[in-house]
Amino acid sequence: MASLPSPPDEATAAYLHRHPKRLSSNGAAEPASDFSKKPRVCPQSLNLISPSEVESEFSHHDPTFARINNGSFGCCPASILALQREWQLRFLRQPDRFYFDDLKPNIAESRAVIKRLINADHVNEISIVDNATTAAAIVLQQTAWAFREGRFQRGDAVVMLHYAYGSVKKSVEAYVTRAGGQVIEVQLPFPVVSADEIVGRFRNALETGKANGRRVRLALIDHVTSMPSVVIPIKELVKICREEGVDQVFVDAAHGIGCVDVDMKEIGADFYTSNLHKWFFAPPSVAFLYCKKSNNDSPDLHHPVVSSEYGNGLAIESAWVGTRDYSAQLVVPSISEFINRFEGGIDGIKKRNHEAVVEMGLMLSKAWGTQLGCPPEMCASMIMVGLPSCLGVTSDSDALKLRTLLRERFSIEVPIYFCPPKDGEIDPITGYARISHQIYNKPDDYYRFRDAINELVRDGIRFTYLTK
Amino acid sequence: MASLSSPPDEAAYRNCHPKRLSSNGAIEPTSDFFKRPKICPRSSNFNSPIEIESEFSHHDSSSARINNGSFGCCPASILVLQREWQLRFLRQPDRFYFDDLKPKIAESRAVIRRLINADQVDEISLVDNATTAAAIVLQQTAWAFREGRFQRGDAVVMLHYAYGSVKKSVEAYVTRAGGHVIEVQLPFPVESTDEIVGRFRNALETGKANGKRVRLALIDHVTSMPSVVIPIKELVKICREEGVDQVFVDAAHGIGCVDVDVKEIGADFYTSNLHKWFFAPPSVAFLYCKKSDSASPDLHHPVVSSEYGNGLAIESSWVGTRDYSAQLVVPSILEFVNRFEGGIDGIKKRNHDAVVEMGQMLAKAWGTQLGCPPEMCASMIMVGLPPCLGVSSDSDALKLRTLLRERFRIEVPIYFRPPKDGEIDPITSYARISHQIYNKPDDYYRFRDAVNELVNDGFRCTSLPD
Repeated sequence: MASLPSPPDEATAAYLHRHPKRLSSNGAAEPASDFSKKPRVCPQSLNLISPSEVESEFSHHDPTFARINNGSFGCCPASILALQREWQLRFLRQPDRFYFDDLKPNIAESRAVIKRLINADHVNEISIVDNATTAAAIVLQQTAWAFREGRFQRGDAVVMLHYAYGSVKKSVEAYVTRAGGQVIEVQLPFPVVSADEIVGRFRNALETGKANGRRVRLALIDHVTSMPSVVIPIKELVKICREEGVDQVFVDAAHGIGCVDVDMKEIGADFYTSNLHKWFFAPPSVAFLYCKKSNNDSPDLHHPVVSSEYGNGLAIESAWVGTRDYSAQLVVPSISEFINRFEGGIDGIKKRNHEAVVEMGLMLSKAWGTQLGCPPEMCASMIMVGLPSCLGVTSDSDALKLRTLLRERFSIEVPIYFCPPKDGEIDPITGYARISHQIYNKPDDYYRFRDAINELVRDGIRFTYLTK
Repeated sequence: MASLSSPPDEAAYRNCHPKRLSSNGAIEPTSDFFKRPKICPRSSNFNSPIEIESEFSHHDSSSARINNGSFGCCPASILVLQREWQLRFLRQPDRFYFDDLKPKIAESRAVIRRLINADQVDEISLVDNATTAAAIVLQQTAWAFREGRFQRGDAVVMLHYAYGSVKKSVEAYVTRAGGHVIEVQLPFPVESTDEIVGRFRNALETGKANGKRVRLALIDHVTSMPSVVIPIKELVKICREEGVDQVFVDAAHGIGCVDVDVKEIGADFYTSNLHKWFFAPPSVAFLYCKKSDSASPDLHHPVVSSEYGNGLAIESSWVGTRDYSAQLVVPSILEFVNRFEGGIDGIKKRNHDAVVEMGQMLAKAWGTQLGCPPEMCASMIMVGLPPCLGVSSDSDALKLRTLLRERFRIEVPIYFRPPKDGEIDPITSYARISHQIYNKPDDYYRFRDAVNELVNDGFRCTSLPD
C-alpha cells in the first residue's frame, strides 16, 4: 500500500519525498506507481503530517473497529473538529455581532475556496448546503415548478440511473413524478466490465425520453454511484446529453471532491453537487451545489427553506436558512490547509486511497476466490469486492443481516450489496462488499475482514437460513 | 426584579412568602403568579445565581446582552452534552445511524409531546427552526393550489407583523402558486387584544369575499418586531367559526416564552424554536401537526430522503447526513430546566416579571412608554426611545442598534415605528428588550445610561454615516 512518509529522520524524509516507496504487507519495498512521478500540485514544505499525527487526528474513532466504510459517513480529523468548535463558540459568545459582521463574509470565503478547488468560473456559482440530498431537492424543486407552471409538458422526461441513491430517487418521485414528469431509469450492468456498457445504455434511455416528440428536461447522473459503487464516465455522458438536446444535466457527486477529479469546466454539467464530509474531511455536514452561469435565463433556483434572503440568488439564500449552526460551512478554508499537509494535497490523498483500495480489493477477492465488481480504473476510493457465494446472500435483507453480523460479532463496518443473480448464471456471486480506503485505514482493517469472511465460510453460515 | 431562587436556607421561607426586590433593595409585594400551584416536584438542587454565571461564562461578558429573543442562549452543561452526542456519532457513525439515531430522536419527540400537551407523538416533528417549519406547511399549501384543490384567488391570511422570512416563504409558495395573501394590519403601540381581534375578523371577511375561501391563517403567537403577544386562542376560535381550512401558529418565540398547550390553542400546525427560550443549542424546533380526519396527508419535508412517505415526523428525523445533536439533547434540557424553581413555568414567569419591571424602569427614566400593556408581553417588551434621537427609518434603527453595539457594547434590536398623521412629537423607535436567566439589572441600567448619554450629547440618527 502506498505509504505515508516514514518516521522522523529528515534525510529519510527528503529521500522518500523524491523516491516514494510502496510497502507491501510483509514490509518489502516495492516500486512506486507512475503516480508518484506526477508534478506536485502545490509547494510542499518538508513539514508533512506524520503517520502518528494521522493516528491522533482520528483517535476519536472507535479503535476496536475495522472502519472500512468511509463512503457512508466520511470522517473528520480532530484538529478540524477543534476549529469547528471555535466557530460554534464564536457564535454563542455574541450571536448578533456574529450574524451582522462575520457570518456572510466567512461563508463567502468558504465558497471562494471551493470555487478554486473545482475550477468554477464565478463564486456566484457556488452555494453551500447541508448535503447532496438538500442539493437534489433544490434542483428538483425547480424542475417541479417548471412542470407545474407549464414550461415543461406533462410526460417530458427526466432520466436517471437505476443505481441512483435512494433518497434522490424519492426526491425525483416527490418533485418530478408528482408534477407530471416521466422518469426513465437507466439500467446499468453490474458487475461492469467497461465504461462503454454504461454509455450505450445511457444513449438508449435518452432516445426513449425523446420518443413521441417529448423532451428530456433533466439528466440526473451520479459521478460515483453509491450501491453498487462504480465511477460513471461523466464527461462522456454530459457530452451526449448536449448532443441530444437535454435541457439540464445534474451530476450527483455525493462522492465527489476528495474521491474523484472534480473540474466543473471539464465536466460541463449545469449542476454539480458534492458532499465535503465524505471525502474532504469536513464535519457533518456540508456540501456544495455548483450551478453554471450560462447565457440562457437562469433557472429558477431557490432554497426550499425560504428566508429573508429569498430572491437574492441561491448562494445568498443558502447562506441564511434561519438560525442554524453554520460551523461546518465556516471551517472549509481550514480543511484546505489541513489537506495541504499531505504530500500532493488532495490529489495525493485521492491517488493513494485509490491505489490502496484497489490493492486491498484484489487481496480480498484473491483470498476468497471471487472477483471485483468493476475494473480498477472504474473505481476511485471505494471498490466492490465479491463475497463467497456459499454465504447464501439472496436478498437485500440478507445483505443487511450480514452487515449487522460483521459489525456486532467482528467489529467490522462495511456495507454489503445484494446483486440479484441473472438467469443462467452458475453459482453467481450475489453479495459484494463496498470497501473504502481513507487516510486512517490500515492493512489490518482489511485482513480482519478477510479473516472474518473466511471464518463465516468455514462455519458454514448461510444467510438464507438465519432467522429474521 | 423577581429574584431567582435564593441560597438554600432561605428557600423554604421565600417559597411561602416570595418577595420582589426593587433596584434599591426595597421589598415590594409580589404578583399573583407566586400563588399558583407548582408544576413539578421541587428538588433542593436549584441553580444558585453563581452556577448560572458559570453556565453562561462563554457569553461575551463585556456585552449587555438584552436580546435573547433573536438567537437565544445555551447553557454550558447542555453544550457539553451536545458535544458528547457529536462525538458518539463521529466515533462509529454507522452504528449510530442504525442503532441510536431513530430511538433517540423519538425520545426527544416524546419529551416535546408531553411539554406541549399533544395527543400523539406522531404529531411532533423535529426540524431545524421555525423557518423550516414554515416552508413545510406552505409547501403543502402551494401543492394544493397547483393541483387544483384550492382555487386561484383563495386566500391566505397573515399578520402584517409576521416575521420577514415567513413573509418571503408565503410569497415563494402561496403567491407563486396563485393564492391571494391578505395581511392583517395591527396597531402599534397596542392597548388591548380587542384591537387585534377586530382587525383579524375583518381580514377574514375580506378573504371570504366573492365566494373565495380562506385556506390558511398564519398567526404569530408572539410577533417578532414589534413584539406583542397575540391572543391566539381567540383568533383560532374565530378561524373555526369562519370556516378557515387550516390554522398555522408561528411561535418562533414559543416554548419557554409563552404557555404552549396545543390542545387549548387548537391550531392545526404549531411551530416553536427550542433554541430561543428553551436553552437548546442552535438549532432545533418542533412542528406540531394535529392529527385529524381532514388532516393533510400531504405534509413533507422539502429535503426528500429515503424516508419519504413515512410521515413527516420520520421524514424530518432523516434529512441526509447531518449533525442531529441539537435534536438529541432535548431530554437533557428538560432536566436542566427542572433544576429551577417551578421548572420552565417558573423561568417564564420570572423572566416576564423582570422584563416588565425593567421596561417600566426604562420608560420612566426616558419619559417614554411601553409598546403594549404588560399582559400582552411575555419575556420581551417594547420600550419607547426618546423621540429626540430622531429615528426616522428602518435604516436609522439599524444604525442606532449598531452604535449601541459598537460604542456601548449593548445588544438590543431597535424597531422603527412610522409616525401617524397628526401625532405630536411621536415616539418613532422602540427597543425590544428581552430577559433571560443570565440577565442582570445592570444590563438594563447600562442601556438606560447609554441612551441618556446620547440624548445629553444631542445625538441625532441623521448624523450617522450610511
